[in-house]
Amino acid sequence: MARQPPNVFRMKLLGAEVRGVESGTKTLKDAINEAIRDWVTNVNTTYYLLGSALGPHPYPTMVRDFQSIIGREAKEQIQNAIRRSPDTLIACVGGGSNAIGLFYDFIEDGNVELIGVEAAGNGIENGKHAARFGDAATGRVGVLHGAKTFVMQTADGQIADTHSISAGLDYAAVGPEHAMLRDQERAFYASATDDEALHAFSILCKTEGIIPALESSHAVAEAIKRAPKMKKEQVIIVNLSGRGDKDLDTVMKAT
Amino acid sequence: MKRIVNAFKTPPALMPYFTLGYPDFETSLACIQAAVEAGADLIELGMPFSDPLADGPVIQRSTQIALENGMTMAKCLEAVRQLRSAGIKNPLLLMGYYNPIFSYGVKRFVRDAAEAGADGFIIPDLPPEESAEMEGECAARDLAYIFMLAPTSTDERIKKVAGRAKGFVYLVSVAGVTGERTSVASDLENFVLKVKAVVGIPLAVGFGIGTPSQAKEVGSMAEGVIIGTVVIKAASESNPVEGVRRFIREVKEAI
Repeated sequence: MARQPPNVFRMKLLGAEVRGVESGTKTLKDAINEAIRDWVTNVNTTYYLLGSALGPHPYPTMVRDFQSIIGREAKEQIQNAIRRSPDTLIACVGGGSNAIGLFYDFIEDGNVELIGVEAAGNGIENGKHAARFGDAATGRVGVLHGAKTFVMQTADGQIADTHSISAGLDYAAVGPEHAMLRDQERAFYASATDDEALHAFSILCKTEGIIPALESSHAVAEAIKRAPKMKKEQVIIVNLSGRGDKDLDTVMKAT
Repeated sequence: MKRIVNAFKTPPALMPYFTLGYPDFETSLACIQAAVEAGADLIELGMPFSDPLADGPVIQRSTQIALENGMTMAKCLEAVRQLRSAGIKNPLLLMGYYNPIFSYGVKRFVRDAAEAGADGFIIPDLPPEESAEMEGECAARDLAYIFMLAPTSTDERIKKVAGRAKGFVYLVSVAGVTGERTSVASDLENFVLKVKAVVGIPLAVGFGIGTPSQAKEVGSMAEGVIIGTVVIKAASESNPVEGVRRFIREVKEAI
């Protein structure tokens, strides 16, 4: 809640009671734990909703179906703009709902490269990150919150602590459909550090006047790495999945 | 399996829960020994997990401390071995979450647990739809894979469990997580009777039972009474072993 005060305030404005979670590492995983505990306690009067493509079936597919409007609209718009498929799609991946939403309608189109971007936090080599696919030392197939997918864990199967400057990417598991797409080599997963995301954040602010969410800034960071190596006529779609207003506090403290 | 069957010959049987490694490895074993001396019939051995979804704050805290003390899955099996070599003949049920077992390797874990002297498993986050491998490995070694049913379980689910359950069925008395409640759920008797009509093996009731009088009430309906949170509270006293001994004796006398 301290990391995203404007979002918390908005929820309260809309009439929600927002409860802070004090257990565990106080990240997304602990909030999910508490939400599930509350749900099983009040199951007769409560619906469980998770804002990512995670959790037990059918949640990941439900969220993907709703988010797939992103890819459907992108496909239509890019057809109108360039009369062909884009070359590359880039989206950040925490649970990966915005990414699966963008990718879904392009999966059948083999000409389109699908790139997810995880949070490399302080750097994969020093262990403080949330790159489930990016760190063979901790990321492997496991089961968390009802989904079998890539999970960051210790050698003994305890869920590992994660770190990212962006709250939305700070989670030990990834949406199971991403694990499948990676297994099939249909999608590829890169990562961006906190510093790279902050740099991308400020570049997009200055060049486009758009303040991206810190989550989405990871996708922008990957575009900045790739674009110079591509041909001028090639086209990248970067999913700006969230606004950065909510992150201004974090960015101010970090820069 | 034989040890479990014998334990239910003079119902109601009492099954206290202990977190292995809490408050430390040696003391947790001494507490279990004291519980057996005080009349406990079966023992539920909690294998600590970083994200114990089905547990309330008391057991959560105990598992966190056990992990901080360096508890591992291998040490949990070592605990079983030590309890057996100390002469404990009671059924020992390993309770834990699925990821550490999956990480250890299901087949290997069941084999090692059987060799250590365990009698079965309770895995609250492994639903019947996903438990075939565990069940198969357990059946091959004559261990019990314990199914759980809750007041929210459908008739279909109860029937499915009835056909597959071995040893006993674990009835969750209330919707929610582990922890004391002020009274026994008013509709518990109907729930027990509903399951009893279909399930032909002993029923043990847990979640929310904390006092000798509640244990007595539950013991009049079902063949087994499971107490966790208050046992962990007793193990948190300044003299954990005597705290556990006193509490188990009180409950045993009451039922």
